[in-house]
Amino acid sequence: MSLLELDQVSLTFGGLKALWELDLHVDEREIVSVIGPNGAGKSTVFNVITGVYRPTAGDIRFAGDSIVGLRPHRITSRGIARTFQSLRLFLNMSVKENVKSATYGHTKASPPESILRLPRARREEREVDALAEQLLAFFGDRLQGYRWDQPAYSLSYANRRRLEIARALATRPQLLLLDEPAAGMNPRETHEVTELIVRLRDELGVAILVIEHDMHVVAGCSERVVALDHGVKIAEGSYEEVANHHAVVEAYLGRDPEALAES
Amino acid sequence: MTDPAQIGRDEWVARSADRRDEGTGLRRVLNQLDARVGWWPRLAAVALGGVIVGQLLTNVNLQQVGFNSLLYALLALGLNIAVGWAGLLDLGYIAFFGFGAYGFAIFSSAALGTGGSGGAHLPAIEIIVIVLAAAGVVGVLIGLVALRLDGDYLAIVTLFVGQAFMEVVNNVDPGTLGGVNGLFGLDPLHDFGGQVSSTLGYYYVALAALVLVAAVLRLLDTSRTGRAWRALRDDPLAAAAMTIPVNRLKVMAFSFGAIVGALAGILFAAQQSTVFPTNFTANILILIYACLVLGGVGSITGAILGGIVVTVAEQMLSSPTDAGYLFYGLILLALVAKVRPWRRLAWVLGGIVALGFAAHGIVSLISSSAVAGHPGSTGWIGSVVSNYVIVPSNPVGYGNVLYIVVLCAMIAVVRLEGVRRLLAVIPTVYIAACCWESRLIVNPAITTQIMIGVVLIVTMAARPQGLLGSRRVEIV
Amino acid sequence: MHELLQTTVNGLTTGCLYALIALGYSMVYGILKLLNFAHGDLYMVGAYIGYFVIQWFGGPNAVSIPVPLLLAIMVLLAAVGVGVLGMAIERFAYRPLRDAPRIAPLITALGVSFVLENTVLLLFGGFTRSYSTPTFISFNSGITLDGVRIDSVELMIFGLSFAMMYGLHQLVQRTTLGKSMRAVASDREAAEMLGINVDRTIALTFFIGSAMAGVAGVMSGLAFNQISNTIGFLAGLKAFTAAVVGGIGSIAGSMIGGLLIGLCESFSASYVSSEYTDLIVFGILIATMLLRPTGILGQKALQKV
Repeated sequence: MSLLELDQVSLTFGGLKALWELDLHVDEREIVSVIGPNGAGKSTVFNVITGVYRPTAGDIRFAGDSIVGLRPHRITSRGIARTFQSLRLFLNMSVKENVKSATYGHTKASPPESILRLPRARREEREVDALAEQLLAFFGDRLQGYRWDQPAYSLSYANRRRLEIARALATRPQLLLLDEPAAGMNPRETHEVTELIVRLRDELGVAILVIEHDMHVVAGCSERVVALDHGVKIAEGSYEEVANHHAVVEAYLGRDPEALAES
Repeated sequence: MTDPAQIGRDEWVARSADRRDEGTGLRRVLNQLDARVGWWPRLAAVALGGVIVGQLLTNVNLQQVGFNSLLYALLALGLNIAVGWAGLLDLGYIAFFGFGAYGFAIFSSAALGTGGSGGAHLPAIEIIVIVLAAAGVVGVLIGLVALRLDGDYLAIVTLFVGQAFMEVVNNVDPGTLGGVNGLFGLDPLHDFGGQVSSTLGYYYVALAALVLVAAVLRLLDTSRTGRAWRALRDDPLAAAAMTIPVNRLKVMAFSFGAIVGALAGILFAAQQSTVFPTNFTANILILIYACLVLGGVGSITGAILGGIVVTVAEQMLSSPTDAGYLFYGLILLALVAKVRPWRRLAWVLGGIVALGFAAHGIVSLISSSAVAGHPGSTGWIGSVVSNYVIVPSNPVGYGNVLYIVVLCAMIAVVRLEGVRRLLAVIPTVYIAACCWESRLIVNPAITTQIMIGVVLIVTMAARPQGLLGSRRVEIV
Repeated sequence: MHELLQTTVNGLTTGCLYALIALGYSMVYGILKLLNFAHGDLYMVGAYIGYFVIQWFGGPNAVSIPVPLLLAIMVLLAAVGVGVLGMAIERFAYRPLRDAPRIAPLITALGVSFVLENTVLLLFGGFTRSYSTPTFISFNSGITLDGVRIDSVELMIFGLSFAMMYGLHQLVQRTTLGKSMRAVASDREAAEMLGINVDRTIALTFFIGSAMAGVAGVMSGLAFNQISNTIGFLAGLKAFTAAVVGGIGSIAGSMIGGLLIGLCESFSASYVSSEYTDLIVFGILIATMLLRPTGILGQKALQKV
């Protein structure tokens, strides 16, 4: 049984087919990439999985249970965490608080317990603190050594992306959805992202579904690649298979690649 | 491997914020103090300061001002939960204040009795528990409606909630709620055989309530709930994606705010010993907003400071002597803060003084009746400005015209730049002074309202974080 | 039966006024996503302008110019005066906050509303003033249809409201300004890049919306005879309800919403109790928000992630 299964999922806005009868699965500890031209519906896949949009048809199962219709925070609590392409950090909170805020789902202390600082609240706060430091340390000297109490808006673009990943990990996911983790990074940082993705899987044991435009990242980390165009899956397989698939080439370059090459 | 350039950039950005924070002179000292003194010593200082001030409040009027300051600080604290932490513009907050006041009134008067006698007359602790629990439930109910709405829609619906509260207490069951006549003859706060009977007593009760609520809110702010609220304010969608149940937290914010508002209402009703529907109009709501906005949305210390500053300023405005201090003091403060270097400041101040005496002299030569009126200020300020401002014998119409002129002149000052702006400031201040002495100070109630509105507008434009809030970055 | 019809006529009269105010709310909200709390107070200022025009031309007992001319001057002056005031408010209070957090302009709008209300209180006093309409427009000058009275003021309100709404509809659909307004409403940055003068478009939107509120103010003075500095708050609240019920951003929606709220009010006043009209309107608002948050004619906006 796969960890995540999308079964004939469709999403339509009025007449527009954002996704059409999509089948997709991610196994445990697997890294899968989703590629496709702009507007192919890649981020929509994430939004459907995480409950931002409700699919018009089809079923989504996570660890065997259907998660269609659950509210986003419930889905994340079950073990699917995501990052955002457009970077949605809590900019006015500190670096560490950003990570700690994502532990809400697996902490239990009620407001009265927190106010009175009862044992459970104290213990949870200690655990959350340790988890946040451990996760920030995961990024090595990239995020370690900065003032973790500085506001998130003071971070550079690349570090904001890293912080987004750290924050998503704080929800203790089994499946991590990364939306263009290398966007806006230089080649060296891009290379680091590739290594990071593999390390996340190896050391933390999460499965990863990653949307990426940068083919170095896709080639470097993914075990399986899925190509989308106009909301429809056009190819699936290893990186080489998909990259050379005629439908994929067409989707990126247009109908007649040879004619394009000649001109 | 590290990438030095990248790290350097981050640290530079981080430090640039520090550099701005540091500032110069007094501001630097204050910022350093702010960074070094912990939160609990500060709260203790507030409590101690409150007690010392209480000892200095020697007459009932001052005690009343002290009580009101603490009451508005408490109200601002409660409003801050929904507005400052959860980012929900709650314009129905006044209804919770009223709910608490009416709740207290019903259980501590003859309202539940028959024919003006009898009634519940419950002891304080019981009333507080009942009313605060009920307020929490009402907060949850209103919060549940609010879930479906965001931003502006929420604002308008909650504004209606405040209006609906007024209609209910005005019209529903006048036998119990008293209708437009309100409820009166309320018991003082009493329990365990004792009762709070003096204004100073209520001052200390309010101080205790304020310190307690501030401590509770601080503990809440640093807990998972507080973090979740702040996450919600920054980005509700990302918050939901990070396991935060957005809806439940919104309802909680409303509910907690309702409880604090109702507590303030209980204190208010007990101290006044009467409640009227007109105690809970939109004007009071805007006053509470002014406290919060001036102090700094999102900051506990700011809310307390805002409540005290606004109440004290309001009190000063109603006395012709003190109003002068406030008005001329604020102008002087604004000029000292904004006009640099010192030499230029001296020119501007000199210009303002000279212009006034010159204008007064010239006008009095032309027509003695044009300067026959008396300035509204009394005391030494009054005698100083009597040869400075031009106040005709019938100042109302003249003052009205000046008021419009001042508004236009202020807009011109905002529009102009550099030296021209400084030149425009001189006549603007003078005309404002004339308008103040001839018209505004004569109607302190209206002037107060106008100034509250101006405070909201100016704070939002010039310093949206208020006196003590922290700068926010927001992607709109 | 007569009572029913009479109630309907009265409701439609109020409804037209709400619709006119709602249009301004809706336009401003559409283009800036700003809830202009001060809009109701602009309506109040319009009513005062109309009052002072009557006073200027001799007062209601001795109008020195023909009544139609007087009415025209009242409407025009209120439209221009309030329109300019609205533009000035946009320029100096809202424009600096255009890229500020959402909550900032809302608080500013509260402040502006408070300043306007109290400025009028300072300048003109808090007492209720009367247009004394019956002394210069005879109430017999209306028409009677089957026993139902529609007096000339009501006829004028119907005529003028529908004319203005039609005009506005044409303006938004046909003219360059209308196209700019729609463009700015749907995407301000893109509109700017396409060479649309965004500042001017927004300023003109404020002018038109405010002018309509001003005209509504004059007409309410004529119809209800009583004005004070506090009439703006509740009228603004109800007009916003009308805009929401009809579907914010839609001209026809504002009109339908306004008429609906007006009818609800007059029916609940006649058949339930005049004390609870506001609560009933509030109930309608809540029901709309819960059942159909986009309003009758509004369209659902897609959430962008």
